[in-house]
Amino acid sequence: MAGLIIGIVMLGLSLVAPKSYASVRGVALDATAPVTGGLRAVTATVGGVFTGAGNYWDAAHQNARLKQERELMLQRIVEARAISLENRELKTVLELREHSRTPVATGRIVGSSFNSPRRYAIFSAGGADGVRVGMPVRSAKGLIGRVIDAGSLASRVLLVSDRASIIPARILGNGQPVISQGRGDGTVDLRPLEVGRNPFKPGDIVITSGTGGLYPPLVAIARVVRLDDDGAIALPLADPSSTSFAMVEHPYEPAAVAEEIGGSMDAQ
Amino acid sequence: MVRAALAPHRNIGKGPVAGASLVPAISVAVASLLTALPIVSMSGWYPDFGFMALIAWRLLRADAWPAWWAAPLGFFNDLATGHPIGFSIALWTAAMLALDLADRRTMWRGYWLEWAIAALLLLANEAAEWRIAQVMGASLPFLTVVPPLLISVLAFPIVAWAVSRLDRWRLGR
Repeated sequence: MAGLIIGIVMLGLSLVAPKSYASVRGVALDATAPVTGGLRAVTATVGGVFTGAGNYWDAAHQNARLKQERELMLQRIVEARAISLENRELKTVLELREHSRTPVATGRIVGSSFNSPRRYAIFSAGGADGVRVGMPVRSAKGLIGRVIDAGSLASRVLLVSDRASIIPARILGNGQPVISQGRGDGTVDLRPLEVGRNPFKPGDIVITSGTGGLYPPLVAIARVVRLDDDGAIALPLADPSSTSFAMVEHPYEPAAVAEEIGGSMDAQ
Repeated sequence: MVRAALAPHRNIGKGPVAGASLVPAISVAVASLLTALPIVSMSGWYPDFGFMALIAWRLLRADAWPAWWAAPLGFFNDLATGHPIGFSIALWTAAMLALDLADRRTMWRGYWLEWAIAALLLLANEAAEWRIAQVMGASLPFLTVVPPLLISVLAFPIVAWAVSRLDRWRLGR
């Protein structure tokens, strides 16, 4: 009976003031992460064998199609280089300052909260590498999430697809502002900020807008797969289960994030 | 009859293994640690191994561990799985109390009744996880509880079988 009361009191404390157990949770992360990291290579290989076999099916057609796509891509790359050169020149003319985007640490996604309705992942870099709570995590393909617990060897990342992960975003192309919120099952919900006609089309890519100062702008988040009445459901581009390396970056606007973390900690 | 008595019987001379009284608690802690397995899932439908091992042991034996051990085991589970600290402490202690009540109220126990009790407790676990996620700002529709609940209810007989084998091994039977 006493255990029940102690448990409820501790649960209340960790809901009201999550920081109170931060160090204990960090130590627990450090203790389990090496096991997870060591075994991850095995499961990745096994998974790769099965998905890799599918690629051999119809390989000739696939090859022809990929070659064609590559030709198109090369043209696009040349165009993009020209645009980015022009962009840089225009920015120097306007004297805009660019934020330096050096990563804090790189690591691997080694585990996840596979038996809970929340979507967390275990990341193989921690406080010893400079990872702090609140930093954004991304891979080459897109945004993965943000750090919510940091041990010294490992950290816990709130994934883009978690329900509590709300990201200000824009549609790539027309730049219309939208909000991305996870659905807890590996997909995200997209809602336009302006009420009106549904702005999404299947295949649209959504990128971060940088609003709020936590996530850097122009990082890809998700691709629209289905429309619903006033928004869309999208699949994150960076799939944590197949991401080999990910990097932690500094918050885009550190001052804004310090404020935001304080606020969200109280709200949780 | 005589022949059977003369045949070498492997149970003779075999007693409980060393530390047999600790085996249940250790096996629950190991089941909690299964969340450290490097599975990156996007659905979260895997069962809560620690909780299933706990109720499987408690349904098998009333004296698997002193009742208050549920709290430290729950604390360990919270640390391993990343639930908010205190969640499993409260839930696991409540489950022990509920099973004490069930022991007192049920006249007879069978396979189906035990499975039904376990299913109710697993439903309570999933619903509590759902409610805590909602309080923490991740409000999902309640129907998202159904797939993981079905999976853990169907997986429970496997856990119960593993626990009964472990019980026979620790007692040297």
